[in-house]
Amino acid sequence: MTTDNPAMAEALRLALLRANPDLSRFDPLPRIISHDDFSRGFCGWSQLVGNYEDDLDGMLPGYAQHTSAMLSTLAHWEAGSHGGMDSSYALKLASRPKAGAQNVTIKRHTFRKRGPIRFEAYVTFKPEANELNLSETDVRAFGIAFDLQGGDRDAANERVMPHLRFLNAENGNHVQKWQFKTETTPFKTFGGARSPEAAKTVSHYHLSSEGWRDLPDGAQRLCYNEIPTKVNWTYLCLDFDLETMKATGFRCNDRVFDMSGYDSIRIKAMKNLWCMLNFLFFVETDSDKRAFLYIDSVCISGDF
Amino acid sequence: MLPENITAIVARNERWTGEAASEPYEAGWAREAVIFVRALKDPKGPQPQIHAEISPDGMRWLPEGTVAVMPTTRDGIAVLRVKHFGNWLRVTARFAEGSESTVLVTLHAKA
Repeated sequence: MTTDNPAMAEALRLALLRANPDLSRFDPLPRIISHDDFSRGFCGWSQLVGNYEDDLDGMLPGYAQHTSAMLSTLAHWEAGSHGGMDSSYALKLASRPKAGAQNVTIKRHTFRKRGPIRFEAYVTFKPEANELNLSETDVRAFGIAFDLQGGDRDAANERVMPHLRFLNAENGNHVQKWQFKTETTPFKTFGGARSPEAAKTVSHYHLSSEGWRDLPDGAQRLCYNEIPTKVNWTYLCLDFDLETMKATGFRCNDRVFDMSGYDSIRIKAMKNLWCMLNFLFFVETDSDKRAFLYIDSVCISGDF
Repeated sequence: MLPENITAIVARNERWTGEAASEPYEAGWAREAVIFVRALKDPKGPQPQIHAEISPDGMRWLPEGTVAVMPTTRDGIAVLRVKHFGNWLRVTARFAEGSESTVLVTLHAKA
């Protein structure tokens, strides 16, 4: 796009975005890295499998429980297919029916430039509708995370993993607040190595229940609706700067959150993850009932 | 656009005993599915039949009619081919006491 008249170029960009029904509900940065609506398939959202060597038995239990996401019309036993925002389909992530069970879906890229990125999505969550009651405290949490590492020639490199979750309920209490975490589990090594530095393969479970901290003024009551089979889509937007490796903004529907007190999991850079740009959704159940996270659409953009 | 197809892992390294089932999987967009059940370890005891099941809601299940026999050796693979399954799919097997198998169940769905 021309830079002779930046204001005109930006006005033209916005006019084109806003006239496009697929993109008009997003506020992308100048380059769209990927735009996923799940009427076009899985769009690269895959299962997060844990690391292993020799056999699968050493995979950490957090990862071993994960299963593949699916394309869903949000079909309910008494109301039929709910559908997405403007197609029949959404991506569905389902936990197993055991309190504390989690599932994750991941999209893996690398980046071209360390600069601002924006992650936008429309999502909703519900428990499996196997009881005829509101069930509003059956889903413990859903959230988004990134997995990032600088380029191989960057100084002071770290692996940085921003995590942000909506803690809907905890042990039956309707909590409804946003949280982040800065800790992961100790590293497990494979292949008989005595230290993570000596091992070719290591693993840690960054979605463990320990270490979640409240986002300042992070309480929010989302639209859950009145029975387990009525859903409403919620807008999320997380801004992150790959140069400073800091979150720069978070919005959810009508709320704008102060991210000055937010930080990410930070661990030593790893030897095979240069320029990594991964995006994750996760869901966790608070009851012995499957928790579902539905993702209508995702737009990932950057300024480069 | 090419027709959608997907390989979904619906059970990985799961030790199946007693009444075993894969997690429910929605594939209403698909016209056909092939499900492979691989024994990752030496199965123990007599190996039962494995059944494809369908559901109106992902919670109540009926036999679809397709049946295979669980693999009897490590790295043996059973296969089930299904069509006209509506939306929900899973596989089930009933193991006698003392019997078990550690399975990898992969579902290959095609529009």
